[in-house]
Amino acid sequence: MFGLVGRAVESLYYVCVGLWTVAKHTGRAPITKEFPDTMPDLPGAFRGRLALAVNPETSEHLCISCRQCERVCPDKCIDITAHKSPETGKLELIDFKIDHGLCMFCGLCTEVCPTTCIINTNDFEMSDYSREALIYDLKKLTLTQDESAHYFSKKYLPIPKPKPKPAPKPAAAAAKPADGVAAPAKPAPPAAKPAEGAAAAKSAPAATDKPAGDAAATKPTAEKKADDSKDSEKEKAAPEPSAAEGKAEPDKTEG
Amino acid sequence: MAPEKIEALTSTRLKTDEMIINMGPQHPATHGVLRLLLTLDGEFVKHVEPVVGHLHRAQEWQGQNRTWFQYQALIDRVDYLSGMFTSWAMARAAEKVDGCQVPLRGEYMRVIVSEMNRITSHLLWLGTYGIDLGAMFGFPFYPFREREKLLDLLEAISGQRMMFNYIRIGGVQSEAPPGWFAKVSEFVKEFPDRVDEYEAILTNNPIFIKRTKGVGILKKQLALDYGVTGPSLRASGVPLDLRKTKPYSVYDRLKFEVPIHEGDGDTFDRYVLRVKEMRESNEILRQCLEQIPGGTADELRERRKACNSCGKADCSNCGGDLMIMAKKQNAGLRIKAGEGFDAIESPRGILGCYIISTGGDTAYRFKWRNPSFCNLAALPDLLIDHPIADIMAIFGSIDVILPDVDR
Repeated sequence: MFGLVGRAVESLYYVCVGLWTVAKHTGRAPITKEFPDTMPDLPGAFRGRLALAVNPETSEHLCISCRQCERVCPDKCIDITAHKSPETGKLELIDFKIDHGLCMFCGLCTEVCPTTCIINTNDFEMSDYSREALIYDLKKLTLTQDESAHYFSKKYLPIPKPKPKPAPKPAAAAAKPADGVAAPAKPAPPAAKPAEGAAAAKSAPAATDKPAGDAAATKPTAEKKADDSKDSEKEKAAPEPSAAEGKAEPDKTEG
Repeated sequence: MAPEKIEALTSTRLKTDEMIINMGPQHPATHGVLRLLLTLDGEFVKHVEPVVGHLHRAQEWQGQNRTWFQYQALIDRVDYLSGMFTSWAMARAAEKVDGCQVPLRGEYMRVIVSEMNRITSHLLWLGTYGIDLGAMFGFPFYPFREREKLLDLLEAISGQRMMFNYIRIGGVQSEAPPGWFAKVSEFVKEFPDRVDEYEAILTNNPIFIKRTKGVGILKKQLALDYGVTGPSLRASGVPLDLRKTKPYSVYDRLKFEVPIHEGDGDTFDRYVLRVKEMRESNEILRQCLEQIPGGTADELRERRKACNSCGKADCSNCGGDLMIMAKKQNAGLRIKAGEGFDAIESPRGILGCYIISTGGDTAYRFKWRNPSFCNLAALPDLLIDHPIADIMAIFGSIDVILPDVDR
């Protein structure tokens, strides 16, 4: 009988100890954050949506179409369309597609990128109504100059050097003074931008009025022009990526 | 429930027809998708057949069809609650084959992040175990509060909360961001008080004791026969912990005790042992933060300003023990031809990885020794003659993670 009473008292004591611990927490401020109202404070290393950075100082696109990210991606969610410019003989980026529905956010593409162009942003709110909408193209992927500067400082990345001058072209020479006004810090002529270079190289009549528009404009407009001109050169660019894919296929299946 | 009481309840007076029912695959308490084929006599379990494989993702096959570099990103998904350990097991096996020596700072970083990961894994187990036993309101949030702090720290260093991809072949991926070490030592200071809080709520609670004491007794010999490892084995009184019995990495430089419970090996013992292990992990963290060569990342950055972070191997600020990576990783990472096995102590038990490499950029063969799979094998013997209500108390206590069972 005494044992039973003793056990009951002991049990009651330990229940009270537990409840007291719980009660101590009632007065303090809540730890949880209400998500849509307060955004989480994410670290710079956070692996969110993929994006392509531009040079934070000169706003030139950093991608050099080396296709390392495309090759290393375990999910094969990156698709790069590039061609060799007939004038400069260098690779020029035409389109860059990332299927974020396939991406597993491992961050391997950002590690292999030689120019720190492809980066993981801190954006994670990407829900959409269709799977097709998750395929981001070059225009949607490219960050603005301010955003790039923000991520470069947040991730402690070194600011990349501007690209070397390409061989002078008649179209580029005309553009030189206008561009100098818009971005005095930029040493390279506007043709250094691969997208614009592609456009300039392809459509000769468009090239004459392009530099003036481009000098005042920001990056997205240049990309838009690249998109517009893309259609005309699709046939030309098509054989190259398919050949590259054919090469990649054997190692994938053979193991 | 005590066996003799069960005997009394299942007397011929209450004998009913045997019934076969499915528990799962999607049961809220199975921590994944496990199907238990139960043969019941009234309330009591007569026979259990776990049906595994619902989460099979061909992890070994994928390892043989991806490059070493790509597979490292995938391997965290095997045991998603302790991704550092799966990465570490693979990295150690590959380093053994390749013969590369991890720098001392890299080894310390590995121990720090994986002990943090061990604490998060045990904390999640503690919270969900409360749910399994019916403590639906409130209790899970106490361990999850600390877990969230640790996951934020791991996110800051690796980039993601659970799929870290941080421990790589040859070292660790990156140096800690500024202020990271200070935050970890802050956590290490306050964590023992938090564990006291969980224990105040749970350990002596009469309801908790009634549900767990004498339930699901795992005898020493049975545990050894089935190859059970980790806290479940140590709760049965076998002092097998690879960190102590076969010290790898820098564990031989650290002073810590492996908690061993000389009890029956019941559900309560396994709970007590995991709580003790969290305290030990915290102790290991504290020592690592003191011992790590080069000090905190902020101190090291200050020192490296002198040589402008040259990164040369013979530099006194960058090279030698102060590196975190033995060789720079790139997409074409290759491992020398050969084969090797290495095992580490994960929160669930001994996690082994066996590799055959032919010298190319993909592995010829991968084989994983997953602790959860072996621990699950003991489950049918533990469940027999227990009522249905105890199934989740026992299943939760052996801390199985289903993706790790099925791979």
